[in-house]
Amino acid sequence: MTCQQFQEVLPYIIESGGNEEQEGHLRSCAACSELVRDLRYIAEQAKLLLPMHDPNPRVWNNIEQSLQQEGLLPEGRMSRQGHSLTYPTPTQSKSWTPLGWILALAFITVFAAVLVTYKPHLPAQQATAQNSSTQPAQLGSDDRQVISQMSQQAPQVRRAYEAGLKEADAYISDAEQAVKLDPEDAAAQDQLVEAHEQKEMLYQMATARSLQ
Amino acid sequence: MTESRVPLRSCENISLARVAALPVVFVCAMALSGFAAEPQGQAEANRKEARLDIAPGGSINVINNDGSVTLKSGTGNQVLVAYTLHSNKVEVDQDSTPDKRRIEIRSHALPQQSPNSDEAKVDLEVTVPAGTAITVSTATAPINADGISGDITLSSDTGKITVSGVGRSHLNVRSVAAPVALSQVSLGYVHVTSSGGAVQMTDVTGPKVNVATGSGNITYKGDCSGVGDYLMTTHSGDIDVTLPETASVDLNAHSASGSVQNDFPLQAKKHPVFVPKSGSSFAGTSHSGSSSVELRSFSGKIRVKKQ
Repeated sequence: MTCQQFQEVLPYIIESGGNEEQEGHLRSCAACSELVRDLRYIAEQAKLLLPMHDPNPRVWNNIEQSLQQEGLLPEGRMSRQGHSLTYPTPTQSKSWTPLGWILALAFITVFAAVLVTYKPHLPAQQATAQNSSTQPAQLGSDDRQVISQMSQQAPQVRRAYEAGLKEADAYISDAEQAVKLDPEDAAAQDQLVEAHEQKEMLYQMATARSLQ
Repeated sequence: MTESRVPLRSCENISLARVAALPVVFVCAMALSGFAAEPQGQAEANRKEARLDIAPGGSINVINNDGSVTLKSGTGNQVLVAYTLHSNKVEVDQDSTPDKRRIEIRSHALPQQSPNSDEAKVDLEVTVPAGTAITVSTATAPINADGISGDITLSSDTGKITVSGVGRSHLNVRSVAAPVALSQVSLGYVHVTSSGGAVQMTDVTGPKVNVATGSGNITYKGDCSGVGDYLMTTHSGDIDVTLPETASVDLNAHSASGSVQNDFPLQAKKHPVFVPKSGSSFAGTSHSGSSSVELRSFSGKIRVKKQ
């Protein structure tokens, strides 16, 4: 079962639990497991919101009295809601007010929106790998300043500096990771120095060019 | 009869047409030659020369962003500067200090002028006495240096840098994306740094040869002689080294996430600096291992082969 197939039946799984295959996927997939955990947490928190917005018990008393006066409710048959300040039990769901229904509807809407827009959290390493492999490196503020200094230069020169700075940043990033992995690795340390020297050279050349 | 006269009439017509066309062709040819001669004449008019005295051990600084820069070896105590302007929107300044120890040659746009990329070009040729320190900086202009010596610093953003026939010199080359080609550089201290430009070396030797690139490839063909230290480093660029069987090297190669391939006969070291890992590093010596050769890359491929 794929993550997409799993997430298509997610509302059913949240409501009534999944079958064996779905449970198996839930155990093996950290991303889907985290998604289900988050959604269950949201659902639990939403339930707690309902009693906080329940009408005051006096409202229930007045309703009961009105119903009794109109003969719609036999005397002595009082709902527990009217006399109790405790949290509602499942049987009380039948006596929800329109406000309760509105809140429930709002919760369902929010829940559906979360399901549609939810993006599972990737593990940190996976996210880093994605950044380095698929997304173009972003220039830092200093780099952008250098590029802005090159605004008077030919487009090919500007592009060369921009590509060079991105390359230098990627080099520094790779070298730093290598040094972190093995701080005793002299070759990695040399390459980190070399990466910084490359960037220094680009800064020097760009500065000299802009001064001209 | 009729049939035989038709082609005759056609021939007559063609001949007449040719005769009539001759003056037109002549006029056109003259006009074309005139048009062709005009830029040449303009180029001749824009070509200028100057001779500047320089003190022994003096230095020259050349700045020419677009066009070309050619450096040649000369004699005596004079620097010959010859240049061709591609338009009258630019000029070349030549300044020297009173003691003649420093000369600056710089092309620039005239005030109130905004030359386009073609109009801004200046082809500059500088003949320098041996041993003169020279620094050249360009943006897109290629740099060609042939047969010079001394302290040589060449930098270009995108213009190709070509150096040949340089001996006993300090050669410092810097490039953003410009390709670099060095050949017949002997007994030199060579330092090349390039971000994205490829570096190609043929018969480059010296006590210190240090080449570093980011994404540019490094190619070396030669014997790494001179009892020198050769260090070639890239981030993602490949390194290709071709050595003759007679090369006497102590070679280490390591690629962090790329690959290595060795087709050169090396003997395993008795005391290796690192433990070679198949596919990502190797080390060994050839003959007496007189020169140290270090090849390092992060993600590039390293290949060493026999010439």
